[in-house]
Order: sequence, then structure tokens, then C-alpha cells
Amino acid sequence: MEDVLFRIRNIGKEYPGTVALAGIDLDVRRGEIVGLVGENGAGKSTLLRIISCVEQPTTGSMEMHGKPFRGKNLLDANHMGVGMVFQEQSLMKNLSVAQNIYLGRERGFRRFLFIDWRKMNAAGSVALASLGMKSLSPARKVLELDFAARQMVEIAKVLNIVGDKTDGCLILLDEPTSVLNDAEIRTLFEKMRMITDQGNSIIFVSHRLSEVIEISDRIYVFKDGRQTALVDKKDANEDLLYEKMVGRGTSGEYFKVSSQTDPGDIIILEARNLGLKGFFKDVSFRLRKGEVLGICGVVGSGKEEVCSVLCGDDSADVGQILLDGKERHFADPSEALSAGILSVPKERREEGIIGILSVAENISLSSMKAISRHRVVSGRERTNRALDWIRKLNIKASGPKVSVDTLSGGNAQKVVFARVICGENRVVILNHPTRGVDVGAKEDIYQLIREITEKGIGVVLLGDTLDETISLSSRLLVMKDGLVVAEMESSRDNKPSQIDVVRYMM
Amino acid sequence: MATKITVQSFVDNLPWLLLIALVAVFTGINPRFIGAISLANIFTAAAPLLCLSLGATFVIVTGAIDLSVGAIVSASCVIYGLTFPVLGNWSVLAALGFGFVAGSLNGLVFTWLKIPSFMVTLAAAALWKSMALIMVGGGAKGIPLELWKGLRWSDVSLGIIPLLFVIALAVFALYYFVQSKTALGRAIFAVGASERAARMFGLRVNSTKFWVFALSGVGAALGGALYSITLKTSLATVGDPVTLLAIAAVVIGGTPLTGGKGSVLRTLLGALLVVIIQNGLNTAAVDPYWQQIVFGAFTILAVYLNSEKGGRNLIVK
Repeated sequence: MEDVLFRIRNIGKEYPGTVALAGIDLDVRRGEIVGLVGENGAGKSTLLRIISCVEQPTTGSMEMHGKPFRGKNLLDANHMGVGMVFQEQSLMKNLSVAQNIYLGRERGFRRFLFIDWRKMNAAGSVALASLGMKSLSPARKVLELDFAARQMVEIAKVLNIVGDKTDGCLILLDEPTSVLNDAEIRTLFEKMRMITDQGNSIIFVSHRLSEVIEISDRIYVFKDGRQTALVDKKDANEDLLYEKMVGRGTSGEYFKVSSQTDPGDIIILEARNLGLKGFFKDVSFRLRKGEVLGICGVVGSGKEEVCSVLCGDDSADVGQILLDGKERHFADPSEALSAGILSVPKERREEGIIGILSVAENISLSSMKAISRHRVVSGRERTNRALDWIRKLNIKASGPKVSVDTLSGGNAQKVVFARVICGENRVVILNHPTRGVDVGAKEDIYQLIREITEKGIGVVLLGDTLDETISLSSRLLVMKDGLVVAEMESSRDNKPSQIDVVRYMM
Repeated sequence: MATKITVQSFVDNLPWLLLIALVAVFTGINPRFIGAISLANIFTAAAPLLCLSLGATFVIVTGAIDLSVGAIVSASCVIYGLTFPVLGNWSVLAALGFGFVAGSLNGLVFTWLKIPSFMVTLAAAALWKSMALIMVGGGAKGIPLELWKGLRWSDVSLGIIPLLFVIALAVFALYYFVQSKTALGRAIFAVGASERAARMFGLRVNSTKFWVFALSGVGAALGGALYSITLKTSLATVGDPVTLLAIAAVVIGGTPLTGGKGSVLRTLLGALLVVIIQNGLNTAAVDPYWQQIVFGAFTILAVYLNSEKGGRNLIVK
């Protein structure tokens, strides 16, 4: 029997309308680094949140040291010996290193009513030294440290919280390398080995497969919330992992590939050397009439920010956006809208709908000009249009006057689509248009995308999955680390394979 | 679920029930409360309050707040009184023009510098209060007696409804039209419900915010002018208690401070309620010094009843 530190059996997680995880079995042995890879939305982060008790699983059970592992929140997980280093750094920048390490645990340094800072700093020094960071002063403000040092502090903090377990603890690292350079990554890996040599274990998540292969002892591959492979370090290579990550493509029929348009030569939107400092640079492309241009890339590749710039939510530092050959600047989305560009935003509840307003109101708000004369709105026109769209898109709502909050995810998303396409917009930006939408509504949305391109609207698409992006698009841009690394045709009968695309992405 | 709906609909209809209950109670205390003279007094007192609460409603629906209403009322009252000897009844244009400028200033500072609205308008309140005091050279300055005939129109009454209240109702109709029939009106609710979404919808968020403050300034200025007309005085302190009364009228009417919901129709009811409470307290001989306490308490209670108890949507604008 192997020395298993943490055991996961049949863990599943369902959200209304979607299954995030199903039937996950995973073992972490003592002193081992387990790698976790998968596309965005494959369920890696969800699993980490479940292990750290931030979220509760719908099914399944967990064990640590052979005993049932169950907790209500992160603190419970910490007490049982599981610590999580979050993707977004969670340090308080205006506090010192030691203050951060002992945040919420100042009680241990209390002398009468006051905190003995000297004692805390001394303890901080010891905590840092155990990670080989003797040179870092615990009294320094986190604000003054670079990202790599902050990451180390974060790890030192987590280790300090859970590391007093004599029989080993489990540290979860979610994309710890994304903000680090090569030398810093080296140091991080050394520290990780130090941690495991002391009898602890680590679960490591990264988009960079080469790193995962290098540092992990075993690698679990996730796809669409399921575990598709478990690979030993000695058998692992990038091609194998790619294959397991993307799996087989869905049938073309599902994505209505047969009705994909053959875009002509008329260019509606053109980007020339667009750049936004810290996010992307030298992004150029042309969007033709009736075309779906898909942008692929992992989180942090810069695709989201390109999207924000195109819809006017953000302004590019350099480069040009041309609409019908004329250069345009958008100070905010309302200016993009008057030029005929509107987006289906990524965060539906926060950006795509206004929940407390009615369906009719939501549908009409982006096309006020069309339903008003001299800025006076016709209520009847609004209701009629809403009724039209409810029928056309088969939106399940009891009427145009009900609030969008009462609708399911899929129907709410149809309301967003109705709003975005009911105006005279010529370019539509779809940022994860099927996120959190059930299968039936997804098919309706794919159909709708085919219909609007038929009418000549140009679409920029950031799909929810790679499969979706490739299948819906007639051309693909692949982005990595803020640059366009490939541009591919994706015609009806010559779709690039997911593996080819992923190779560029990673 | 069923009980939740009943509680909510009870809170929604509370202003009406309160109106009826209060009229009954005060009539019980003093049967003359429902008499023609008393009613005419209530309507006269409600006219300026209604005008200045209308714009405040728009501001609150966007999720912001205008604490300069009272000071703009004071300054506008002074401007009307001081310009009356020269401009006659055209003074109202001077007052409204001032209101527009003061409101616009709030709107511009709020949107350009992105400073929380309570801070912007609190500072503006200090500014206009000082201006009012400086202009009048102290507390008050009456409109000369020989000019009063020019204001006699304001005493006209249609039955028991005074002309001033009719004017206020006309202004109410205008704001109601803006609220329900114009693109601006719809944008106000969208911005108040979710500023982020409103932006992504392609709505002009800053312009919407600007206009609600401008309209609040105009409404407050009209209120100030009406005070000047009824008091026949430039009174630099007339607006002091008014900011609280305006917010009380809005929230007692049932418009929540969280934004995105509410209506000037509710504020019409709220303004009447405030005046009736005020009047009733007078009838019941409650010391005026105590009345602010009552309104403060009422406002807190109304805000509490209208707020979501979930702990989300706290107001930080």
C-alpha cells in the first residue's frame, strides 16, 4: 500500500445548468508533486476550491491521512493541513511581510493589549528561512517586493499556517508561475522540492505543460470536468497531454458547420498593431463581412483585453482600429455602439443583463435610437420588439414585463443576444457567448450566430471551449503571452485540429 | 415564498396605507385637520418640497445622493428675492439658471473627478450656503412691500388646490415624463441598477449622471423660488432643514437608496406624507425643534424597510 496523504473519491460538482466536475478520483502520495492540467473550464480550479473547502462538492468524499476530510471553509481546511495559494495574490500590499504571514493570527504575539512586533518579525524570519529566504526582511512592506518574492511570501504564509503538522500537509498551487520569469520559476521549483522533501505534498496547476512535466511526479489530465488521464512523469510528453486535454471534437452538426458562411472580401473591421501595455502588443487582423473570427488563447494570453479594446471598454495605447477603412477611437462602449460595435460580455450577471429590469427593457436598452423619436421612447414599440424577440429566440419568459432575474441562464443569455443584435450593429463581439448555458440554449445560440453572419454581421468570437471556437469560426487567431502567434483558416470542410491550435497556445 | 411576497407588497404599499392612517389619526386629534384651510396649507407647503424632491429622486435612482439640495434651495430663494425688484416674475429664470449651473457643477465634478457624490455635494452645499448668506448680507431680506402686488398671482386657488401646487404638479408631470418616456429616464434606472452593465450596454453613463444632477439642481432651484414667493423674503436659512426633508420624501415614498428602483410618482406621495406629518405635528403642538428628530427617525425607518436585508448592495457612492 502506497503512502497516500490525500485521497479523493468520486468528487462531483454541479452548478445550476452545468456540471463542473464529475467522478473525480485522485490520490496524492506523501512527498509528491501532483500536476493538474486541462483547458480553461476543465474543472481544475473548481477541484482546488473543493479541496480547500471554499466550495462544497455535490457528490463524493475526501480523506486525509486515512481520515474523512470535510470542512466548511478555508480555515477548516487549514486546520486539517490543507493550504491554498491563490491564483490572484491575496496578500495585503500595505502590510509588512510578517504581518501578512500572521494575518488573522496576531493573537499569538499579543502582550497585554498590544502586539509584540519584534516577536512577530522574529517568527517571520524563521518562517522565511525555512524556505531558504534568509535575505528577505520580514519588516518590509509587501508593496516593495517584486511578484516572485510576493509569491514566495504567499507560499511561506500558507506553509506556516498548515506546516506544523508532523505527518505532512498538502499545499495547493494554482498557476503560481504565470507572473514569474524563468529564473524565478527555477527558484520556485527548488522551494517546492524543499517543501516535499520535508514530507509534505503539493498539487500544482499550470497552463505551461513543460513546467508541469518537469516538476510533477504524476500528472492528472482533466477535460470538461472529467479526468481523462493519469500520466507518470516518465511517460509524460507534451503531445500525449495535449491529446488527452482536448479529446475528440464534437460533431460538426452540433455547431451547424454546414451553414458556415463564405465571407467575401469586404473588410468591416481592421486592427493594425494594436497594443495595450502589460497585456498585448502588435495585434493585427481583418474581419470581413459575415465572418466569424475566433481568438484562441489561454487565460492571460491577452485575448480578453483585445476584446475590451474592440468594444470600447478599454483604450489601446498604440495601433489603430479601422471601421470601413476609417480610423476610429472609442472612449467608452457607447462610442463603439454608435459606430455599430457591441459585445455580448463575459460576465452575464454583472455586464450582460440588468437583472432587476424587465426583459423588454433589457432588450431595448442598447437600441434606444431605434425605438425613440427625439429621445422620446415609444413604450409600445419597445414591448412589440421584445415580444418579437421572445418568439424568435424562443425565450422562456412569462412575458416582456418580467424581470430578467427570474430567467434561467440560457434564457437570460438569449435576452443578451436579442439586445446585441436587435440594433443596427455591424460588428458583434461574443465573449464566451455560451458560458453557463444549457445544451439546448447552446444549440439555439449557435444557430443564431450562423443567422447573423448570413446577414453580413462580422463576429469576433472568444469561445467557451476550443472546440466551440474552432467549429464556429471561419478564421482563427491564436494568442500567446500577448502576441498573435498564429492565424489559421478554418473553413467549413477544413477545420484545424484542436491539438494543432493548443500547440500554439501553450 | 408566499409570505415573502406579502411582506414585500406590504412594504411597497406602505406609503399609501401610511397616508390614510396619518390623515385618520390627525383628524382624530383635531377634526379641523381635514378642513379646507388645513388642506390648502398642506398643498401650499407641499409645492416647493415636491419640486425639489423630484430631482433628488433621479439622483437617488442612479444610486448617488445629492446633499446640496438644501443649500441650492437657500441660494435660489435669495437670488429670486434679490432679483425680484429688477426682473419681476422673470426672476424665476435667474433662479432656475442658477440651479442648472449649480447642479451641472455637481454633475461635472462627480463624473470627471470620480469623487463620491455625497462628498461632492456636501462641499457644494457649503459653497452655496455661504453664497446665499453673503448675497443677502446675513439672515434674511424681505421683498419690499410695494412689490407684493406682483406676487399676488401666487395666492390664486383652484377650489382648495392652490396655484403653486398646480405648478408643482406640472413640474411633477414633466419629471414623470422624463422618467418614463425618454431615453434619459430609462438610462437612469439602468445606471442605478448596474453601472458596469449600463456601460457595457453602450449607454452614456457619465452623461446620465450629469443630467440627473443638473435636473436635481433645477428642481431645487424651483423649490427655492417657491419658498421665496410664499415667504416674500430672501431667506438664506430656508434650505437648512430641506435636504433631510427631500431625502425623507424620496425614501418614505419608497425609492430605495440602492438605486435602480423607484419613481417620482412615489416621491409625490412621499412629499405629501412629509408635509402631512409636519402639519400634523404642528396641529398636535409638537415643538418644531423636535420635528427634525421625527423626520430623521422616519427616514432611517424608511431606508431600513426599503433596503435589501441580505447585506449586499451597501451604498458607497
